[in-house]
Amino acid sequence: MRSYTPKDDVQKKSYYTDRYWVAPQVPKSDVSEDAVFAADHAELRAHFEILEAYIQRDQMVVYIHPKDNYAVLEFLRDHCGYTQLSELSAIDWIAQRGGFEVFYQMLSMTKRKRIRVKCFIGENEAINSVEKLFRSADWSEREMYDMFGIKVNNHPFLKRILMPDDWEGFPLRKTYPLQGDEFAAWYEVDRIFGKEARDIIGPEIRDAARVDRYDTERFARLGYEVPKGTPFDPNQPKTSLAYQEEGGVFLIEGFDEEKSTIISDRKR
Amino acid sequence: MQQTNRLRPFFENITFERDDNELVLNFGPQHPSAHGQLRLMLHLQQEQIVKAYPDIGYLHRGMEKMAENMIYNEFMPTTDRMDYIASSSNNYGFALAVERLIGLEVPRRAKVIRMLLLEINRLMSHLFWLATTALDVGAMTIFLFAFREREYLMDIIEDYCGARLTHAAIRIGGVPLDLPDNFIPDLKNFLDKLPQNIKDYEDLLDTNRIWLMRMENVGVIPTEMALSWGCSGPMLRASGVAWDIRKEEPYELYDEVEFAVPVSDKGDNFARYKLYMAEMRESAKILYQCIEKYEETVQNNQTELMAHAPQYISAPKLDIMTQNYSLMQHFVLVTQGMRPAVGEVYVATESPKGELGFFINSQGGPYPYRLKLRAPSFWHTGILTDLLPGHYIPDVVSIIGTTNIVFGEVDR
Amino acid sequence: MAQHQVNYLKDGGLPVALTSIDKVVNWGRSNSLWALTYGLACCGIEMMASGASRYDFDRFGTIFRASPRQADVMIVAGTLTKKHAEFIRRLYDQMTEPKWVISMGSCANTGGMFNTYATVQGVDRVIPVDLYLPGCAPRPESLQYAVMMLQKKIRSEKAIKAQKPKRLM
Repeated sequence: MRSYTPKDDVQKKSYYTDRYWVAPQVPKSDVSEDAVFAADHAELRAHFEILEAYIQRDQMVVYIHPKDNYAVLEFLRDHCGYTQLSELSAIDWIAQRGGFEVFYQMLSMTKRKRIRVKCFIGENEAINSVEKLFRSADWSEREMYDMFGIKVNNHPFLKRILMPDDWEGFPLRKTYPLQGDEFAAWYEVDRIFGKEARDIIGPEIRDAARVDRYDTERFARLGYEVPKGTPFDPNQPKTSLAYQEEGGVFLIEGFDEEKSTIISDRKR
Repeated sequence: MQQTNRLRPFFENITFERDDNELVLNFGPQHPSAHGQLRLMLHLQQEQIVKAYPDIGYLHRGMEKMAENMIYNEFMPTTDRMDYIASSSNNYGFALAVERLIGLEVPRRAKVIRMLLLEINRLMSHLFWLATTALDVGAMTIFLFAFREREYLMDIIEDYCGARLTHAAIRIGGVPLDLPDNFIPDLKNFLDKLPQNIKDYEDLLDTNRIWLMRMENVGVIPTEMALSWGCSGPMLRASGVAWDIRKEEPYELYDEVEFAVPVSDKGDNFARYKLYMAEMRESAKILYQCIEKYEETVQNNQTELMAHAPQYISAPKLDIMTQNYSLMQHFVLVTQGMRPAVGEVYVATESPKGELGFFINSQGGPYPYRLKLRAPSFWHTGILTDLLPGHYIPDVVSIIGTTNIVFGEVDR
Repeated sequence: MAQHQVNYLKDGGLPVALTSIDKVVNWGRSNSLWALTYGLACCGIEMMASGASRYDFDRFGTIFRASPRQADVMIVAGTLTKKHAEFIRRLYDQMTEPKWVISMGSCANTGGMFNTYATVQGVDRVIPVDLYLPGCAPRPESLQYAVMMLQKKIRSEKAIKAQKPKRLM
């Protein structure tokens, strides 16, 4: 019987986990422990609904409603001094919670603090663009769309950025296998030569350790200098690997190992 | 047989002949002076650029996806291939992020060695930047000069880790090896010559009329634009914001060394060029101080190179070979991988290009649930959209040159 | 001034060399291999290093050209992604015969460590390759050795060969 593999998450899984093992948690502390974060949090809470907030590894994490994202980021930029959006992306939680977690990593250069604003959206929901606030979000949101398929409202140019325009599938979703699907496997062949060339070129070889000594078309025999396609011959004598051509080369003096000097001091 | 009509231009919706006297120029994706695989669609009025659409992704290799399918230590060599001009700084960014996640303190000697590697990498990166930018602008001599110096640094790095380009010289929890015997003398030897070398470059470039014409007042990035586009590193500092993560959020021993953060408020290509030169001098200063610190650790007999955390880090080789428990632990860590706690961390370090950030979401498994690489060059390429319009075609090359983008990092 | 006395009948002193067309043509081809700058990723940096001051590729007659129409050998240095694949084919088609391809580095050979959805698993799926150079990234010395091996290969070929398509398509 074939072993069951879950279809909603095809990423690599640990082959063994101790059944008594409980994953520890990175400690979360209350927002009030840091005066700067506490002030920011209080200001935010006065204007928006905050679902959850805590400090983890010196950075405040704030959960908001997805509809508030533009307003919250604008508020943070204009009133709290978080003038830079250093990162924006998403985490795929479709299998567990049916959606994505979008996070905005922000930096305040005056306070030297970083906070992370997070919101959760469903699989088919769209999120508002913050491109008007931070130009850097232009490309980040395109990347997010490219990798996760998250639609962004009000984006000026929502188009794939890293993958080709005619690509199918969203690579960073957990349902997308690392080595690509059927479409990805034949993409370059289909594009350049056409589907009819698939048989001639053959499938991709994904096994990095594959060596076939009898396949003399694709693999060279180590230590044997024979033309490509020469049938395998167990009695073939080994070829010397020193660079020397038979009979020498016209106008070029052959390399003589005896006469050469080996420089011991390479910085000479 | 190959069908020619399948190889049409990729932007099929663009009409190349138009009525409004606007020419669409395709630049790349394999252009010798694009620093990699950058494709620009430039709309031109005469020789002036009206619109620019950078198109990236020609080196997208799926590193974030790879990270989700690899144990933490396995991913380390992959980070080398991000910013392949300065590999160790990527290794370091990743190692630091994981260390923050699991709450690990690195021994002092390892910190010093890491700083040495980071600054050597910064020098290598800046030298490479100078070489390629000068070559793109037409100064072949500088290319040969700067590569000569870079080869010395590569030799030094090679003595340490055995590789020229892809170092993988930093491990999670420390560094794998102590410095070889000739490392410090070689480095000192190089550093003693470096000021003269930098002066040579500057003598050739600073008053060179062609260089000045192509650099001064070209590619001016105002402060607001730099902030809004999320610029960092030299790009931001050239636009008048004194923000250096080494200074503002010090990691390792950067709070113990003295160095200046050069800033310029001009924001043009020339400002960036001068900034890189100044940063090279500062790096040399840091390296001298690191050498002193290294010799201190030798005197104080602080020989530890890896943090002691048996749950996450393998024991030293001697213990693995002699003690049963260490061997078992090592076996588990190599085959199954370490399991950090459930949580998230975002750690930014100052790589030679700017703010290199690693966001890790761990769900307690040996594979990261999500790893986002925040590479500075991504936004430094994006800024070309707003920066290029108004400039002329020859300026494109020098602007791309001074933004110092590396495509392993842009596309990841 | 030194006295030069040439004994034309000894030591090959006769300023005439007898050879075949094949040898002369191949001698010229193999010693002026102009390479197309095809730096795609990390290996491209090593390719630049081999062209720069320390390793000095020019002494092999290998000069990097930016145009495929002036190049004899395409050194594919780096990862070829699926998005880029069609461009490499186009540039390869633009090169004039005779042309050769060196696949430099693991990524170009087999996809290397990037066993992912976005990477072409070996550049030989798209263009025919004459020489595979292993390494990640190969040192400049290896690239020079690869060029020497390619020269050897060129010398062993017929100068005027029938224009038959290579293995791929």
